[in-house]
Amino acid sequence: MSLIFSVFKKEMIDALRDRKTLIAVLLSSVIIGPLVLVMISFMVSDIESRAEKREVYAIGMEHAPSLRNYIERQTFEIKTAPADFEAQLRKSKFSNPVLVVPADFEAKIAKGEAPHLEIITDSANRAAATGTGNLTRMVSGFNQERASILLATRGVSQGSLKSIDVDEKDLANAQSRAAMLTGMIPFFLITAVLYGALNAALDSTAGERERGSLEPLLANPASRSALVIGKWGAVAMVGVIIAVFSALSFFPAQALLKSETLRALFQYEAREAGMFLIVLIPFAAALAAALMAVAIRCKTFKEAQASSTFVILGVSLLPLVTLVNPDGEQPWHLFLPGLGQNLVMSRVLKGEPLDALALGVPALVCAAITVLCLLYVVRTLNTAAVK
Amino acid sequence: MISVKSLAKQFTQGRGKKARTVQAVADVSFDAPDGSIIGLLGPNGAGKTTTLRMIAGLIEPDAGAIVVDGIDARAERAQSLARLGILSDARGLYPRLTARENIAYYGALHGMSAAQIAPQVSQIAQMLEINDLLDRRTEGFSQGEKMKTALARALVHDPKNIVLDEPTNGLDVLATRALREALRALRAQGKCIVISTHIMQEVERLCDDVYVVSHGRTVAHGTVDALLAQTGDRDFEDAFVKLAFSPSTQALPSGVQS
Repeated sequence: MSLIFSVFKKEMIDALRDRKTLIAVLLSSVIIGPLVLVMISFMVSDIESRAEKREVYAIGMEHAPSLRNYIERQTFEIKTAPADFEAQLRKSKFSNPVLVVPADFEAKIAKGEAPHLEIITDSANRAAATGTGNLTRMVSGFNQERASILLATRGVSQGSLKSIDVDEKDLANAQSRAAMLTGMIPFFLITAVLYGALNAALDSTAGERERGSLEPLLANPASRSALVIGKWGAVAMVGVIIAVFSALSFFPAQALLKSETLRALFQYEAREAGMFLIVLIPFAAALAAALMAVAIRCKTFKEAQASSTFVILGVSLLPLVTLVNPDGEQPWHLFLPGLGQNLVMSRVLKGEPLDALALGVPALVCAAITVLCLLYVVRTLNTAAVK
Repeated sequence: MISVKSLAKQFTQGRGKKARTVQAVADVSFDAPDGSIIGLLGPNGAGKTTTLRMIAGLIEPDAGAIVVDGIDARAERAQSLARLGILSDARGLYPRLTARENIAYYGALHGMSAAQIAPQVSQIAQMLEINDLLDRRTEGFSQGEKMKTALARALVHDPKNIVLDEPTNGLDVLATRALREALRALRAQGKCIVISTHIMQEVERLCDDVYVVSHGRTVAHGTVDALLAQTGDRDFEDAFVKLAFSPSTQALPSGVQS
């Protein structure tokens, strides 16, 4: 036991003194996540402020006094769109949809014909697209008002106009709506663990071989399992430390969130961070063991980096399964390392209750991976360490 | 005391149809008593490193016996390694650790407590004159400094037997002299020392007994003077070439040094 601790201590010192790598990992996995979150919040608050502005951009509104009257009654301000708005919309320089009113608007209304209105937007222009819904609703509101007045003057009840009553009900609660925006936090935490453990794992296996220190190390009476467990403990610990930093970094980010609604909806407190760590610790353990198993046969650090690409890609791409799969969440998702953790952490963020299955299955899978990979590393050191 | 009897090891290189076997060590035997320095002298690829790796428990021999202080090294690996101090060809220091940490780590791996390690480190540092180096990281050490640190690391558990693979590789004159002094001092303490080398002068100046290894076999044995007498040469280099590359050893399959 003291032997394992000696190896663990040495590997920790070794990994923590590798300042350049640590700083790079900290920058990439601890700073970028919150930064992206804050940037998104700026975007959201921009959209929100536009919604609050209550403005309608139009061309040719002078031809439609009745429509102007309706829009102004909805307490919206009417502004004239710039002449080259189409080009600006395409270049994302102008971020509002534009209502184009024909010259014969009032004349057609008076004749009882339907005038032709155009709402011009660019679906590639995110900000303009979000305003389109409002503008469309505004126009159909006007349409309905005109129709009901016409019907009323002919003595028809307004109710007959509405044969169907539609009411939209969004089942997503406030937190799950926020989770759509904060869904990337699990991804950042998973990559933090991955890149935290990666370097230490390769350095303590392939790096040891490349440096020529593996041979003298194995010529010690210390058992190979003690060496492997000590090394693995240190690698997993580095992964966990980076994960802790990464989890903590979202607290200050929260204070910087620009959007009021996002801040109100974003529930990330000590409880959530703690739950994340409960999910991430077994994951770090499994990842450390898997990376060591991949690297143990490699002769150089470079070779090990190339081989570990499979692990890195697998872990970072598996969470995408939920995006691509039209069936949504499936029970087997919990069994896939990376994906399972992502799902459980998303549930925590959404404020959904977690059952024993959701917590237990990914942890058990991680434990199994850890044991298998460590056995493989010990076996490799016993049989094919030096050739 | 280290005693090696008829050691043999074959390697398979490549896979499938391209596979070929190489007899790295065919028949190596030597006896290294306490209080003496034994030299394994041989050309590159003679099988010296493979022999030493088998003694260090890194490679399982196909045949033969290795006995360290009466312990069968193949059956009781840990027991035998506890009695051995090994300086391998690759010094293999940890660049981000200081010399002291490098040495102490191996002490811990030998099951020593911190209280046992500290006095041992200062004693060895005294002998090898590396006190100034102890608290520097080994990154950027010269070859001589690296060798001394690696030797100190191999000696931290005060082993009875010391095995050194090409210890003077890459060392300048002063560092080589310092190493020789250190080895003589260790011999005076009654240690059993085995060095492998391909450098004649080392053997002439240091070794009490020489085993000439060629093509995986020990082909000659004796003191430097006895070997000179055997071949009738005055120059040890001439004697070595005759012994190592005589027609009787040429016929054997060539070995490899991996």
